[in-house]
Amino acid sequence: MATERIDHKWGMVIDLDRCTGCQACVVACQAENNVPMNTQDRFLQRRAYEWIRIERYWEGEFPNVKARFLPVLCQHCENAPCEPVCPVYATYHNEQGLNVQVYNRCVGTRYCINNCPYQVRFFNWWEPQWPATLRNQLNPDVTVRSRGIMEKCTFCIQRLRRGELTVERREGGRLDAQALRDRNFGPACVAACPTGALIFGDQLDPNSAISPYFADANEHPHEEDRTTRAYRLLEEMNTKPNVLYLKKVDQYPLKQGEQHG
Amino acid sequence: MNLTRRNFLTWAGISAVGAVSCKIPFPEGELQIQSPVRLPEDLVKGQDNWYATLCRQCPAAEGVLVRVMEGRAKKVQGNPNYPVNLGKQSARCDAGLQALYHPHRLAGPMSRSGPKGAGQYQPVAWDQALNTLGSQLSDRGQGLVLITEPLRAHLGLIVSRFATAFGGRHLGFQTLDDTTYRGAAKSVFGQDVLPGFDIAHANYLISFGADFLSTWGSPTHFSRAYGEFRHGAGRTRRGTHVHVEPRFSMTAANADRWLPIAPGWEGHLALSLAYVIIAEGLQAPGVDVAGLTGGRGAASLEAFRPETVAPRIGLPEGLLVLPGKDAAEFIRQLARDFAANRPSLAIGGDSAGAHSNGQFNLEAIYALNYLVGSVGAPGGVVFNPASPLPDLPAAAKVGSLADWAGVAEDIRGGRSKLLLVHQADPVHGLPPSVGFREALGREDLFTVSFSSFMDETTALADLILPDRVYLEDWGSDIPEPGPGYYTLGFQQPVVNPLSDYDPRSFADLLLAAAQEQGKSANLPWPRLRDFLRESSDALFALNRGSIQAASADEFWTTLLRQGGWWDEKGTGPRPGAAPRDLLAGIAARAAAPSYFGAADGEFFLLPFAHNTLLDGQNAHLPWLQGAPDPITTITWQTWVEVNDHKVKELGLREGDVVRVESAAGVSILAPVYPNPALPPNVVGIPLGQGRRSGGEYAAGRAAPESANVLDLLEDRRVAVSGALAWAGARVRLTPTGQSIRISKFEGTSPAREIGLSPSEDIFKTVSSNGAAGGAR
Amino acid sequence: MQEGRALTPTEINRDLLRPILEQPKWFWPAVAVLALVVLAGVTVSGYMINRGLGVTGLNRPVAWAFMITNFVFWIGISHAGVMLSAILRLAKAEWRRPATRAAEVLTIFALSTALTMPIMHTGRPWRAIYWLFPYDFARGVWPSVRSPLVWDPSAIMTYLTSSTLFVLIALVPDIAVLRDHTTGVAHRIYSLLSLGWQGNARQWKFQVVAGVLLSALILPVFVSVHSIVSWDFGMSVTVKAWHSTTFAPYFVIGAVHSGVSAVVFVMIILRQIYGWQDYIRKEHIDALGRLLIVVATAWFYFLCMEIIFGMYGREADEVAMREMQFLQYPWNVLMIIFAGITYFLPVTLWLPRSFRRNLWIMSLACISVNVGMWLERYLIIVPGLARKQVFTFTWQTYMPSWVEFTLVISTFGLVSLLLLLFSRVFPLIPLYDIKEGEFLRTSVQVGRRTVPATFRED
Ligand SMILES: Nc1nc2c(c(=O)[nH]1)N[C@H]1C(S)=C(S)[C@@H](COP(=O)(O)OP(=O)(O)OC[C@H]3O[C@@H](n4cnc5c(=O)[nH]c(N)nc54)[C@H](O)[C@@H]3O)O[C@H]1N2
Ligand SMILES: Nc1nc2c(c(=O)[nH]1)N[C@H]1C(S)=C(S)[C@@H](COP(=O)(O)OP(=O)(O)OC[C@H]3O[C@@H](n4cnc5c(=O)[nH]c(N)nc54)[C@H](O)[C@@H]3O)O[C@H]1N2
Ligand code: SF4
Ligand code: SF4
Ligand code: SF4
Ligand code: SF4
Ligand code: SF4
Ligand SMILES: [Mo]
Repeated sequence: MATERIDHKWGMVIDLDRCTGCQACVVACQAENNVPMNTQDRFLQRRAYEWIRIERYWEGEFPNVKARFLPVLCQHCENAPCEPVCPVYATYHNEQGLNVQVYNRCVGTRYCINNCPYQVRFFNWWEPQWPATLRNQLNPDVTVRSRGIMEKCTFCIQRLRRGELTVERREGGRLDAQALRDRNFGPACVAACPTGALIFGDQLDPNSAISPYFADANEHPHEEDRTTRAYRLLEEMNTKPNVLYLKKVDQYPLKQGEQHG
Repeated sequence: MNLTRRNFLTWAGISAVGAVSCKIPFPEGELQIQSPVRLPEDLVKGQDNWYATLCRQCPAAEGVLVRVMEGRAKKVQGNPNYPVNLGKQSARCDAGLQALYHPHRLAGPMSRSGPKGAGQYQPVAWDQALNTLGSQLSDRGQGLVLITEPLRAHLGLIVSRFATAFGGRHLGFQTLDDTTYRGAAKSVFGQDVLPGFDIAHANYLISFGADFLSTWGSPTHFSRAYGEFRHGAGRTRRGTHVHVEPRFSMTAANADRWLPIAPGWEGHLALSLAYVIIAEGLQAPGVDVAGLTGGRGAASLEAFRPETVAPRIGLPEGLLVLPGKDAAEFIRQLARDFAANRPSLAIGGDSAGAHSNGQFNLEAIYALNYLVGSVGAPGGVVFNPASPLPDLPAAAKVGSLADWAGVAEDIRGGRSKLLLVHQADPVHGLPPSVGFREALGREDLFTVSFSSFMDETTALADLILPDRVYLEDWGSDIPEPGPGYYTLGFQQPVVNPLSDYDPRSFADLLLAAAQEQGKSANLPWPRLRDFLRESSDALFALNRGSIQAASADEFWTTLLRQGGWWDEKGTGPRPGAAPRDLLAGIAARAAAPSYFGAADGEFFLLPFAHNTLLDGQNAHLPWLQGAPDPITTITWQTWVEVNDHKVKELGLREGDVVRVESAAGVSILAPVYPNPALPPNVVGIPLGQGRRSGGEYAAGRAAPESANVLDLLEDRRVAVSGALAWAGARVRLTPTGQSIRISKFEGTSPAREIGLSPSEDIFKTVSSNGAAGGAR
Repeated sequence: MQEGRALTPTEINRDLLRPILEQPKWFWPAVAVLALVVLAGVTVSGYMINRGLGVTGLNRPVAWAFMITNFVFWIGISHAGVMLSAILRLAKAEWRRPATRAAEVLTIFALSTALTMPIMHTGRPWRAIYWLFPYDFARGVWPSVRSPLVWDPSAIMTYLTSSTLFVLIALVPDIAVLRDHTTGVAHRIYSLLSLGWQGNARQWKFQVVAGVLLSALILPVFVSVHSIVSWDFGMSVTVKAWHSTTFAPYFVIGAVHSGVSAVVFVMIILRQIYGWQDYIRKEHIDALGRLLIVVATAWFYFLCMEIIFGMYGREADEVAMREMQFLQYPWNVLMIIFAGITYFLPVTLWLPRSFRRNLWIMSLACISVNVGMWLERYLIIVPGLARKQVFTFTWQTYMPSWVEFTLVISTFGLVSLLLLLFSRVFPLIPLYDIKEGEFLRTSVQVGRRTVPATFRED
């Protein structure tokens, strides 16, 4: 398959100044990717699955207090710490910039989860269970992971594949920003995000909305040189994520007291 | 070893025994060789289809596309064409799939076989069930009460005509009902249909109480606009948002500045802002101040000078860290910012309107929009046209607490003997003191529930006729608030019910019943679908709007493919001038909030709609129970959030169970969650849990894991509108010594900055205002 | 220098073969008890495979804990054997003689036990096959040589092979003796195993040369094995507590620390249950005690270095992790216990000569070292994961489940059981080595006193 493919390098931009912490992306991902049901036990065992999660950080004290919402998903690192430590190549980097997970391969050593700085890998501690009727909802394009297997955000690779098969193989077109958006070939979380905080696209497509940010971030390794709000999580670790974040605009920062805008 | 028959058998025996004895059940297929190289997602098979329809997971009823594969619905996604949500969705939408394939769905008609409320039912055949319905309608149909979710458009019309045909009445049920808001919109803007807000193009937004990014109004619609408000394409500057609310809601968390005001004083703050704007002449050009104030100008608002208001509205001292500036000066500055950064917009709702003086509060807030010239202008309040077709209701008919008390009274007084309930759970959603549970328990009342799931009201029904889940059924909607132009959304069945279920469409049952009872004069259609098709043809005849079609048939198919019809040119009514003496009148109606509950109560109780479970209507959907609350990240549980320092003061820790008491004997149990962002004198408790029936997901957990905060409220009403004053209770917290584990998503140590470098290491901010805020 | 009375070869044979030739009455009861413990472990493993690793206390982010701790612990123990035999043999330390066999055998059993841990610990042990052995040629599927989890098995397998050879070579002459002392089936088996050993000069030459050669060859392996095990952690860029360059020597010396202590304890047990006072003499324990003081102190140095290096960068998450290790309950308590029982208590006990020669005190010291070294690994692994990176939102804590406890306890049962069974069929003290010692033993005139001494004519 790989040989026939038009080159893509997928990437995501997350605008922290848009994210409202609404959780739409979280549920959309669970619906799309057959993520095991987060029962109350899963939370009490501290083993809940959220391929994309909204981290809520506190800053300051009442009354000058702020809650910060940080969506975190697999950063699809170019230089992924999770990959070299996998003894069986169950997680590797594909030619489109995706960190992919071959469930069949995974033996469940959980070394990758230790070595992922972003804490986005999820291990199947139990056999996933659904009531018989609810199984009707499971997405046939996505493998249901049995117990003992590692799983994580795939950038909805099944949707991208469908897009390639339909748009590129069948129609001879190109899976561009428009096709991703209007024909549901883009990631489920991005489609869901009501505020448009999540932007997905092809770094090789100059017209895609993410390209300027990636251009800026790649041109200027030092954050302070950048013309956009772009930065990477734990940039100093040099994992080279394919996910960029746009800084929150803090109009009334707590740090240097109050000043009116 | 040479293989003789004897030792062959021996070995066979041994290995057989071994195989049986040390059999470890591996997951399916584990023992066959699988491709360790191929990525499973490389094998995408089959053709999928996306059908456009409407979502019914929350009252906003937005347009969605549903992915169907081999006859099964797989994914819900926003409909990019639908004007209200333009392809976006909320955390609630996808869970429609779980409703569709829910293990606890009511499979078919059932009739009560035990005493009322005992929850004993026996399945009956449909024709038998329909006979019962028919005889009940003919015997006691006179004065029947038909309770549904808030309904508009076709179904709205059918239910109201059905009710009138039987000399009864129809009421839409909403737990935190918006009648006060409707009343305010009516008196300030003279509109029956709820206005919309052009947040996307506003520069300065002050919101009072309304948790519009989470549950208030049309959350997805507003959230989408909010994204634009921040960094929309072609914006020169980033919008500024100030949120005024006693509780740190999700909306407060996203605002640039949050003002924790004393509950119920929002209106005073609003009028104080108005005072400053008028006194300093900051109003937008061409605003007729004299007209608004009965010619007296600022004098008419003298009572609302910042100096007078500031001390009363309880803005915490620490908030004003500006050297040399006090609360009054702060209010002045706020007014100046609001007036200066036009287009600016003021919206209010939720707790701001849920006090004895709630209607005054909302009127004062919305009146502000006249002063900055934002009424009917871009970036301001926009008005929605009524229905594109005659007599299709464009506004939902929602009952206020007064109405419900009336219904209960009629039942007790034997004036209403037949109750029909559809997708509404008043028994769960009304304060116990209204006595709805007792009323429905009366033997002389016959209750028919059309719910697809067991809930507290259905558990008291005599006959249950399960409706189709919306993804299996026809329907329509006129969004309210709408996009500001004619919109008629269409809902089509995207899948058939599983063979295990045998539901029937509520609308079709009503139409059939009307026929049978000879009351179909105003309800001529055999089925809802026929009605919809009729409307489709009517729209086709209008010959304008989003669909160009050669024939009525083509129009119909396009209509269904697009998920509705809209006409962007058909905008709402141009607003007339502001009502005379509007501000003066409101000022004259000004009142302080009157609280109730525990007089010595240390805390104000602020209930709030749960981000995903809302008032509990979604409590049976595991995805939504498992979706963390945005602020506390708590799942599957009720909690009472208390200021973290206050928690220490009370000698409590996270998970310690407290008794929350609003009056002698009126109390619930709930675990404490220390929330750094709550005022020390406020506690927040979410709605949504505490369901007493509805299967393990909704009702599987007992107190203190799960409790209904509405049990703490009394029959206290908002002046004029008669809505439930749900934000005015005072409560006492008493530790019980018991403690449970909070099932939350966040970790076990406080999510704050650590050690020598702050968590800003990962969450970075640029400090800037307006101009640079526009930065990409 | 040598103490105690001289022994004749006959005595030596009689004493050292006693446990084999006549079975002690407590033997079967002991075996039964240990077997039960092992059986418990096996059952629990079955349960764990059946239900999934959910039955453990592991969570996110603490995905490694008890079992990996136990794995590292047993690898550590396994370092005693080679340490003693090889180094001391090359160094011609006389007092090593009675210790070597027990040590080497302990090595083999500890290694094999350690191996079971990471395999049980995977999500799908039945799939471990293509991780440990690249079978899947047809589809070009190989293990990833970049992963320390592939270096691990190879290093351990090598170590297991070489130390097994090491033991066998040393065993051959003694097996021959057994052959001559047994009849019937036992006789036939021993003859088979003794590889036709006559004890002629040529055979002795080969045996000695092979021993010395293997000692030399095995030393690098011994160093590399625990270095590589330490790299399982050291190579992990993400976990601050693990990502340390000093880990290799730190782990190796720690391994020797716990390993030698374990051997001393085993020797004391053997001495008591088999009445080998004349063979395992207090002087031997004394000597090992002295050695342990040096080892322990070297290890303690690395411990301090590791902490100082870690804190030096003052990175937020590293500091937070140390804060958890040192200040937060229960870790702080464990930390204090750990430092006490791994260094300060035992070293104090080893200092006075009279203590070193008191078997009770020595046993206590050696046990405390091993409990402590187990804790050491635990205190590195768990807090490291619980405080991974600056995502304070995801920070969790960890509590082991009964399943993990049972598994860990059963591994101790397993090693003891294997040692016990071994001692019933092979001498746990090398006959020929002792005899050699006796043979080389003479008295020399030093000034006015005659003292016993040992010479070698090479
Ligand atoms: N939802 C859904 N279900 C379907 C279908 C569908 O369209 N939709 N299609 C049905 C039809 S028509 C079919 S044919 C079946 C196919 O169903 P399966 O027979 O399960 O087909 P696969 O899953 O493609 O292949 C089975 C396994 O073989 C592995 N494999 C690949 N190459 C090799 C190899 O060289 N040797 C070995 N031993 N294994 C290998 C694959 O990795 C996979 O794990 O699915 C049926 N089920
Ligand atoms: N990459 C990859 N490609 C594969 C395979 C693979 O494993 N990997 N498997 C191969 C194999 S074994 C097979 S059999 C094919 C299967 O591939 P297809 O032949 O495409 O079979 P389905 O995937 O079942 O798709 C048939 C579609 O017909 C629709 N359908 C269902 N019922 C009916 C009906 O009653 N009437 C009509 N008109 N339509 C209906 C469904 O929507 C379904 O999507 O795929 C082949 N292609
Ligand atoms: S984010 Fe974690 S899982 Fe994803 S590629 Fe990077 S290291 Fe691997
Ligand atoms: S858990 Fe699976 S993917 Fe992760 S390292 Fe182990 S084998 Fe590889
Ligand atoms: S990209 Fe797809 S898989 Fe990844 S988080 Fe979003 S929805 Fe989930
Ligand atoms: S959907 Fe968008 S706005 Fe909502 S939480 Fe996710 S990223 Fe944030
Ligand atoms: S917001 Fe409400 S109506 Fe809109 S799609 Fe989501 S659940 Fe449905
Ligand atoms: Mo097939």
